[in-house]
Amino acid sequence: MSENGTGAVTFALTGRVDSLNAPELESQLMERLAGRAGAPVVLDASELQYISSAGLRVLLRVKKTNPDMTVTGVNSDVYEVLDMTGFTELMTVEKAYRTVSVEGCEEIGRGANGTIYRIDRDNVVKVYNNPDALEDIRHEREVARLALVLGIPTAISYDVVKVGDSYGSVFELLNASSFSKILAEQPDRMDWCVKEYVEMLRKIHGTLVPKGKLPDVRITALGWAEFMRDWLPEKAGEKLVALIRAVPHDDHMIHGDYHTKNLELQNDEVLLIDMDTLAVGHPIFELASIYNSFVGFSEYDHETIKRFQGFDRETGLTFWKKALAAYLGTTNEMKLREVEDKARVVGYARMIRRSIRRGGLDTEDGRAEIDLWKGELLELLDRVDDLTFDPDELELEALVENLPWVQEFIDSHLESTDCPPKAQMQISLAAEEIFVNIASYAYAPEKGRARVRVEVAGDPVTVTITFLDRGVPYDPLQREDPDVTLSADQRDIGGLGILLTKKTMDDVAYEYKDGQNILTLKKKI
Amino acid sequence: MLNVVNTFENGTARVDLEGRLDTVTAPELEKQLKDAMDDAAELVLGMEKLDYISSAGLRVLLSAHKIMAGKGGALKLTGVSDIIMDIFDTTGFSEILNIE
Repeated sequence: MSENGTGAVTFALTGRVDSLNAPELESQLMERLAGRAGAPVVLDASELQYISSAGLRVLLRVKKTNPDMTVTGVNSDVYEVLDMTGFTELMTVEKAYRTVSVEGCEEIGRGANGTIYRIDRDNVVKVYNNPDALEDIRHEREVARLALVLGIPTAISYDVVKVGDSYGSVFELLNASSFSKILAEQPDRMDWCVKEYVEMLRKIHGTLVPKGKLPDVRITALGWAEFMRDWLPEKAGEKLVALIRAVPHDDHMIHGDYHTKNLELQNDEVLLIDMDTLAVGHPIFELASIYNSFVGFSEYDHETIKRFQGFDRETGLTFWKKALAAYLGTTNEMKLREVEDKARVVGYARMIRRSIRRGGLDTEDGRAEIDLWKGELLELLDRVDDLTFDPDELELEALVENLPWVQEFIDSHLESTDCPPKAQMQISLAAEEIFVNIASYAYAPEKGRARVRVEVAGDPVTVTITFLDRGVPYDPLQREDPDVTLSADQRDIGGLGILLTKKTMDDVAYEYKDGQNILTLKKKI
Repeated sequence: MLNVVNTFENGTARVDLEGRLDTVTAPELEKQLKDAMDDAAELVLGMEKLDYISSAGLRVLLSAHKIMAGKGGALKLTGVSDIIMDIFDTTGFSEILNIE
């Protein structure tokens, strides 16, 4: 028997404890605990082979005087007895862990907290980086169970093992292959991988999580932003914090480390693994981490992705672009760029912080990488004003050459309606006039951004298009209409666009509010 | 996107338009028309495959009309669709331009 620093009394249980030797065990224990009622007791059961009900009664009696009781190193036979009799609920029971070696095993996944190896045909083990990982393992098992119950297909660990000095959790994963492996070995399956990957992503983001069950990723991201304040110019740091703070709370699930090594194809079933980063929050935080996995982390050293995912940077870039387009349901390059820019704001903040904390500033390459990311982040902070995104709203740089993207965005919203070609052309015309006006005058000679919102609703169906910009206040409707009865020689070239807009739309309205020009077009179709 | 096909025969320049004539594509057409009009007594714009025209396109047509008229020639539009005709009507262009 010994005492450790916290005053706990440790006592070793050995061999077999049954009705023959239980009284002796009891008198030994009572003797050692005399005058130490209430002290924590740790019973080391690593040499214990068997315990009968007589032995269990001894434990109960000890627990009466010393309620804080832990049994450690319990083998699986003894654990079964303790579990069956309900003792595992009365006291802390820690199992003895079987030892597993991962030497020479194939690495099939790697996440923030650990690496996954295949140990045999049917089983994999996730080895945690943190040597004191039992709490992490318990957490991951709990969130994986929660995800499974909420309808997300995932593998749940059935055993905890000792791997060297670390702990690992063992999963059954039969005949499975990670999506990274498929992408690396069968590039022609790229589109199929994108489709399945995005389907799963939508499923995750469509899952509502009961309050309090998972951490809020926004709080975590605010931590990154606060950290970054010390490394950015004051204004930029403040803006980063404000942008993240302004993202609305969202109770939908996000995975948090959703790259293709964490997606497994098992026979015909797609399974998510590595669930310890599960959280709730706005999808922009997920997209940020996806951007990092496929693009951001390998922006400085293009070989990084090869080491991590097994495929090259080109594959990573293509996968990201295709997955983002499929996730947002659009091929509109401006819409994709808008969301990508927002994701990158969060992504860079996270990568820079991570690198600095891991000693990135100590090496030349590390400093160059941080500088590259920081440059991108500052450029983004200069123009991104909001991290949320909406399928009915397009935010883009107000440049005349971007007009086709505005029109494509509007057309794609009209596609699902029975909009007659004439009305569609009139809407397109009006939108052109307004957007070109903003692009030409709102910020000249500087550049700036505009937002275009498209709503199709009501009966009769009405298309409403709203243009917003933060340029100089200007009401184009105030302009006097040109005289359309004049001859060619007398005609002034100008004002026709606004005239057409007024004549073909059912309603055109302008207001200046909160520093924004807001122009709204309405057309019944 | 605007596709432009130029042909020249017996003093008549013919320019067939396909696609969208808008703020983005109008400057390029304007340049091409200036070249086409150089030696032409008549400019014919084939509009059969034109899907869209905005005020920026109308400006190009008006300026071509003025240039041709200025040198005693003519601008003629052919194959104008109903949808585009509506725009000409609204803006008074149907009164100014020579539409077949």
